[in-house]
Amino acid sequence: MEEFNISEKTNNDVTILYLEGFLDAHTSVELEKSFEKLIGENKYKIIVNFEKLSYISSAGLGVFMAYIETIRNNSGDIKLCKMSDKIYNIFDMLGFPILFEIYKEEVEPIDKFN
Amino acid sequence: MENTAKISINSSTKNLMEVRNFIEVNAKKYLSDSNIINQIILSVDEACTNIIKHTYKFDENHTIEIENLISKNQFIVKISYNGDEFDPNKRSIPDMKEYFAKYKVGGLGIPLMKKFMDKIDYLHTINNFNELTMVKYI
Repeated sequence: MEEFNISEKTNNDVTILYLEGFLDAHTSVELEKSFEKLIGENKYKIIVNFEKLSYISSAGLGVFMAYIETIRNNSGDIKLCKMSDKIYNIFDMLGFPILFEIYKEEVEPIDKFN
Repeated sequence: MENTAKISINSSTKNLMEVRNFIEVNAKKYLSDSNIINQIILSVDEACTNIIKHTYKFDENHTIEIENLISKNQFIVKISYNGDEFDPNKRSIPDMKEYFAKYKVGGLGIPLMKKFMDKIDYLHTINNFNELTMVKYI
């Protein structure tokens, strides 16, 4: 099994990133590349689906902080969804729900964007 | 105190998975609460990541030793390495409201370690030896 994998789907002008595996200081570079690519293509409406993500460390959290300002400055957002309790607890413990919208289902942030 | 296991890794983020697996296997022998096990795994990952990033600046040619010890009511992880002083207890915990307001990046590993572990001791000796000891009461 790959340590970490990202796949991408588009829904109108919304891009959904599907994370799978382990997001740590080693694999977070892959997520950075995905955000860089989307920003380069002027795609600023981004949903990240955590359903298949098994693990996140602070390096993974840092990726969202690194790009949220640029994306919001371009009238976009990074909305998060489908987190397991284990992953949500890490985000919640540090107060990330203050800055990020976190949804149970994928359809909710899609509706919000549209 | 019982000495359960020890591993040595090169100072590369590639090896974080091996570190997490090592802690998981040992923790499962003594702990049944998966939340507690996950907290210890994350804390050790954060500690090793800080050493690789801040002490070794991603130079992979150094060694980090991770030792797991068990005492009567303590699950202990001792991380030994050579290099400049980096005491996590001397790092201030960010004010998260300000952190988010200013879109800051980084610096969240130590807050997680401090939230999840019951005790963190750090020793730096004159010959640049460092020992970080993290304890979870069980």
